[in-house]
Amino acid sequence: MAAVQHVSIREFGWLCSPSLSGEVSQPQLQQIMASVNQSQQQPKITLDGEQMEFSPGETVYEVATRAGKTVPTLCYDPRLEAFGSCRLCVVEVAGQRTPVASCTTQAEDGMEVTTASAKVEGLRRTLLELVASENREVAVDALRGVASQELGTLVEQYDAGCGRFAGAQSGASRPDDPNPFILRDYDLCISCYRCVRVCAEQEGDYAISIANRGFATQITVEFGGHLQDSACTFCGQCVQTCPTGALADKKALRFAGDGTLNGGS
Amino acid sequence: MTGQEQRTGGYTENIVVAETDLTLIGRFRDEPAPLLPILHAFHNRDGFIGSEAIEAIAKELRIPLADLYGTVTFYHHFARAEGGLQRPRVCTGPVCRQRGALEIVESLEGAEEMPCAGRCDDPVPLLIGHETFVVSAPLHTLQRRISSPLPVPNPGGREECVFAEIRAPERDSLDGYRRSGGYDALTQAVQGQSPTDVIDVLKESKLAGRGGAGFPTGMKWQFVREAPGEPKSIVCNADEGEPGCFKDRALMDHDPFAVIEGMTLAGYATGADRGFLYLRYEYPETNTRLEEAISAAEEAGLLGENILGSGFTFRLYLRRGAGAYICGEEGSLLNSLEGKHPFPRNRPPFPTTHGFENLPTAVNNVETLCAVPQILRRGAEWYQKLGLGDHAGTKLISLSGDVQRPGNYEVPFGLPLRTLLHDWAGGPLPGRSFQAASMAGLSGGFLASEALESVTLDEPSIRGAGSMLGAGGVIVFDDSRDIVDAARQAMAFFAHESCGKCFPCRIGTQRLLERLSGGGPGELDAWRREISDIGDVLELSACGLGVAAGFVSDSLLRNFPEQVEAFRG
Ligand SMILES: Cc1cc2nc3c(=O)[nH]c(=O)nc-3n(C[C@H](O)[C@H](O)[C@H](O)COP(=O)(O)O)c2cc1C
Ligand code: SF4
Ligand code: SF4
Ligand code: FES
Repeated sequence: MAAVQHVSIREFGWLCSPSLSGEVSQPQLQQIMASVNQSQQQPKITLDGEQMEFSPGETVYEVATRAGKTVPTLCYDPRLEAFGSCRLCVVEVAGQRTPVASCTTQAEDGMEVTTASAKVEGLRRTLLELVASENREVAVDALRGVASQELGTLVEQYDAGCGRFAGAQSGASRPDDPNPFILRDYDLCISCYRCVRVCAEQEGDYAISIANRGFATQITVEFGGHLQDSACTFCGQCVQTCPTGALADKKALRFAGDGTLNGGS
Repeated sequence: MTGQEQRTGGYTENIVVAETDLTLIGRFRDEPAPLLPILHAFHNRDGFIGSEAIEAIAKELRIPLADLYGTVTFYHHFARAEGGLQRPRVCTGPVCRQRGALEIVESLEGAEEMPCAGRCDDPVPLLIGHETFVVSAPLHTLQRRISSPLPVPNPGGREECVFAEIRAPERDSLDGYRRSGGYDALTQAVQGQSPTDVIDVLKESKLAGRGGAGFPTGMKWQFVREAPGEPKSIVCNADEGEPGCFKDRALMDHDPFAVIEGMTLAGYATGADRGFLYLRYEYPETNTRLEEAISAAEEAGLLGENILGSGFTFRLYLRRGAGAYICGEEGSLLNSLEGKHPFPRNRPPFPTTHGFENLPTAVNNVETLCAVPQILRRGAEWYQKLGLGDHAGTKLISLSGDVQRPGNYEVPFGLPLRTLLHDWAGGPLPGRSFQAASMAGLSGGFLASEALESVTLDEPSIRGAGSMLGAGGVIVFDDSRDIVDAARQAMAFFAHESCGKCFPCRIGTQRLLERLSGGGPGELDAWRREISDIGDVLELSACGLGVAAGFVSDSLLRNFPEQVEAFRG
């Protein structure tokens, strides 16, 4: 259990890591715009009727965010490689029959993008209704983690919590995991794999992975075991990125909530 | 893992790997794409894949342990419990269900169900270990089944391409293959044609991908040829997981050298010096045949270094899947070959520039590759003219279900489906009439009987009817069948095979399955609305599997409203 000794240091790192929101501050934006305006050759896309310049390699999502649009996402974390799985970020592109995932679509000169047509908003609502239907609950204690309100906020915003698509629940919580740091409440998991990706891409720990397929997918460590027997260093990055509170900070909940799987919410 | 082991990140460092395990791993570790053959080696030796095996392989191949564990659980044919390899697995795909597969499962002790095993033109198959058996009713005696049906001569007298020589004597041996024109194309190419000449012929022939997506083959090869980065690879997609598709199996069983020659020509044209043949798990006998054929070609100097004395080198590696339909999707297939979790990849970039190990790769279907030697021998114009009207070339159709003569047929593009169903395949069974047929295996959803009379076998016509031709599987359902239940079974397949990457498919296929099984809102309109709303978001899926699932439910609502009402009534 040498790993546990790292915890205090790593937790410090956790507090210091950059903002999760992916938004760019006003001064930053002005700076970007200034540098963009310097070059007359900049390619442009049309975003909801307005021209936006972009640098080659930027995704439609990045350009839209820079322009101040709020495109909903669940699998996105600006620190990670775009994954393209939640499909909430879909936008309409002129000439394309079906909406495309903006997070994995590179901006191309002359593209005409509509970020929130009635059609796309309707599809987003259905997607959110589906996601809400697989979980025990979507409203959770904010103490679970900094990103833990993402799903609940979107479900509320899109009025997607009205109980359509009722059916089997996915993900099985691990109340048996005795580690004192990370609550593994996978009943709330939506299989966005942000935790798995942050563990691999940001930490290089590769402690957690995905077992099974489809609706039976389950976040796991090797052989379905406990975190403390795995390569987990309890850095807390997974808790920090989890958009549902399926992973939660046990210590925060212990101090402020009741610390049980169903509690604190 | 005890927790006492030293770990560097997720990598296992100080596990002691047994000498015998090292030998097994050593057989493949220096080859490209080593993980699948190593997993199979342990699976075969132990009869399952135990935790110690996963630890040893993770250490030796430097794969994070958790990741490898997750990847092994992705494949449904890898047994994780002792004795699992020997458990009987009975095909309960859509056609075998029509033929009493469920009763067979019940009658055999310890038997499990498996998705369509690609033998819809043969008695219900079951796998035990690496052997295929068929059950003869009513005695339930098992019989070993090594071969699969040879396609019957074209009943319409139409000229064929990929089946043109398949019935030649001993076509499946190298001698027989060469006696019937085999390796003429490769000889001619390496001796007298430049790679771009080969590509030009293919472009002119209008050959397009036969694995479902229909991308022009010549253009694909040109992209690979022009893409920077080496070594380049050819991947033959022989995953054939689509229920109701068994054409690639027929080609590989009876004409294995045609696939190999096609791949070699692809290597010559694109500049790739290695090829991978990714074969689905469910074809163990085919696997043996291909192994033998590859060795024979190597011995004859037709594979390996300095092919036919031309200085051209092409090595071929046979890789066996382990039970996952999604591994037929090319991004997922490439991840599977690379030993990664087999999720599809985001596109672009495409495999032509970022394929196997991120290097230029041509992924082609078996049928596409088998057409290449014939086209090069007989010319682009010959191939083009095989199609009817404006359509170029031919397509294999795997026809199964409630027809007199199921089997693989090579049809000219543009042939009326009616001609195939009635004139070639003998029409419905006595006293029956056609109710529906699924297209593209199951991926195109269901067409109703009127459409079966009017469409022609080409993508524009079948798309016009709201479906698709895809890989060319057609499953017929006559008036004795419950079409809602057929749709439920299809959805069970897609839900079982959804990889779990993207939200609409992972959740949507499950919700559709529940609704087609009787769940969901009691009121018909609300029930229908839930289904069609899910269908709408399935179009946003990250790959074709989710999109196909939506075809199934949408076509049910659209084409079979009365059956749907009766089901909910
Ligand atoms: C879910 C899914 C399954 C697929 N399965 C197969 C398959 O079993 N065999 C195949 O050749 N192509 C399959 N494809 C298509 C491949 O992704 C790819 O387009 C094809 O192998 C390219 O070869 P071609 O151009 O010769 O057709 C599948 C696609 C999807 C989306
Ligand atoms: S635990 Fe959280 S971050 Fe991980 S997959 Fe589930 S919802 Fe996503
Ligand atoms: S559509 Fe289905 S199979 Fe394809 S990526 Fe999404 S979840 Fe996986
Ligand atoms: S943010 Fe683009 S698919 Fe999730």
